[in-house]
Amino acid sequence: MPAISVRDLRKTFQMKRKAAGLRGSLRALWRPDYQSVEAVRGLSFEMEDGELLGFIGPNGAGKSTTIKILTGILHPSSGEAAVLGHVPWEQRQALAFQIGSVFGQRPQLWYHLPAVDTFYLFGKIYELDDSSLKRRISFLAEAFEIEELLETPVRKLSLGQRMRCEVAASLLHKPRVLLLDEPSIGLDVVAKQRLRMTIQRMNELEGVGVLLTSHDAGDIETLCRRVIIINHGEIVYRDKVSALKRRYLTVKTVDVRYNEQLAPDFSLPGVEMVKVGRYGAKMRFDTRVTPVEPVISGLAAAGSLADVTVSEPSLEEVISAIYERTEA
Amino acid sequence: MRSREADVLSPESRVRGPAAAAVVGKYWAIFRTQLVNSLAYPIDLLGRSLAIVLFMWIFMNLWRVTYGATGASSIAGLTLADTMWYLMMAEAVMLSKRDLSETISEQVKDGSVAYLLNKPFNFILYHFAAGLGHSLLSFGGNLLIGSGIVWLMVGPPPGIMGWLFAGVAVALSWLLDFCFSTLIGLSAFVVEETNAFRWIYQKFLLLLGGVLIPLDFFPAWLQTISLNLPFAWIIYGPARLFVDPSLARLGQVLLQQGIWLAVFGGIVWVTYRRAVARLVINGG
Repeated sequence: MPAISVRDLRKTFQMKRKAAGLRGSLRALWRPDYQSVEAVRGLSFEMEDGELLGFIGPNGAGKSTTIKILTGILHPSSGEAAVLGHVPWEQRQALAFQIGSVFGQRPQLWYHLPAVDTFYLFGKIYELDDSSLKRRISFLAEAFEIEELLETPVRKLSLGQRMRCEVAASLLHKPRVLLLDEPSIGLDVVAKQRLRMTIQRMNELEGVGVLLTSHDAGDIETLCRRVIIINHGEIVYRDKVSALKRRYLTVKTVDVRYNEQLAPDFSLPGVEMVKVGRYGAKMRFDTRVTPVEPVISGLAAAGSLADVTVSEPSLEEVISAIYERTEA
Repeated sequence: MRSREADVLSPESRVRGPAAAAVVGKYWAIFRTQLVNSLAYPIDLLGRSLAIVLFMWIFMNLWRVTYGATGASSIAGLTLADTMWYLMMAEAVMLSKRDLSETISEQVKDGSVAYLLNKPFNFILYHFAAGLGHSLLSFGGNLLIGSGIVWLMVGPPPGIMGWLFAGVAVALSWLLDFCFSTLIGLSAFVVEETNAFRWIYQKFLLLLGGVLIPLDFFPAWLQTISLNLPFAWIIYGPARLFVDPSLARLGQVLLQQGIWLAVFGGIVWVTYRRAVARLVINGG
């Protein structure tokens, strides 16, 4: 049985619209104008037990709404969902014992108290006995490298330190599924990397399944084997991250330098010349149209090579291209 | 590490014994954590408790002139000392109320309500336990400082029965106020901004609840209206019982509080079930 199973899930919100200015405000009072916004449109997917699944999309794509439906906080307009065998919005409390969640920068730790106070509170809320709770806190403190931070008031922690404490708090009751909604938002590169490593480690150690939403393709690339990309509430891509790369990373950029001057009309068939200089050139080609072998041979035949660099677009660029394609 | 972890949180890690004990334990922990949280800024706590000194000083001057002008030692059965002790208790209850409606409204607006709805506790009882943690400390401070200043101004407080009876009535008055605040707070699930409702409720408490004037001083018709509304049993009931701790009055206050609690407790429960189903959480 999959850990998460979603079938044709839909969520429509009624949003009040108002024209600009005082006139618009008065008109909205007299005749309010509501617009239906479909945040989630017929989403269907599954997540296996212990899987690290990436769920990405631009702002307003419906990622957070989906996560909130899966935690049971929001009721869908239609469709079905099961998380660990529970219908989330009908069995929210029973499900709460088996899932953990972190919603971006919204704190669940008590702001004026040291994190350890919230840990003990959560221990009681999840009905853990005292000795198990103590052992669990010390295990998580070690795994998340937060031993030194536990007794500092949360308000004094850096964002990166706080996020590590937040994720650790969400794992106190050893959930089977962890729903992480933009956990890396606002973090610097080092803090992001540290958080990713810890999430990966907890997945390996305890087999906790992770559904991760993020803007950051780096989160997905590092953590997830499979990715679902959504835009305007619909799935626009789903496959392994490696397949995503294989399928979309076909455009190569080549930077080449020669020991001798290049012919002024230097060109290669099927290759777009971005820039041609006296001793080097920058060019681009798509491997689906132009095979690699003749390009490399052509480069070698053009003169004595000093250096060649072949680069691919980042996953970020690939994902933007997918969004753009679905916008068109 | 895995093997060390494997046995840490097995199903047996849950608290043993009756399920009720675990449930009481979690709300007790919420209450205690809020108590500790309120102590995070002791100077702020003390400062807020000192507000009662200013209020009592103003009331003393106001009512001394009023009693002096009438030439009577008591008005509607209350001496100046009774009135001051009544007002001290009324202010102590009023000032220690936690503005839960604002808390819920903020949680809905900033989206943090999400964390409270996906934990294994009841959202309403969570707020009650947390509110109690806040109010008890604040009430204790207000009572201590308020009693000190009023004692200096008009002499000793009513007897032990007054404290005991008022204690019971204040507990129920917090519950009743909790129902109102929760209803206003839950309206945030639909309208988000609840300032207007909160303002109206506060004014009802001030005017018809007996915060500014004991209801006994009202004309008969206004007194009848006030006593038939729930606001009087949040402030007036406990404060009046404090200065007149008769069994008859205790019975009247508890009966009124019980009736209004049954009515508004039911409304809160139904409203909560409906509000949760139509919740919209901001921020995606």
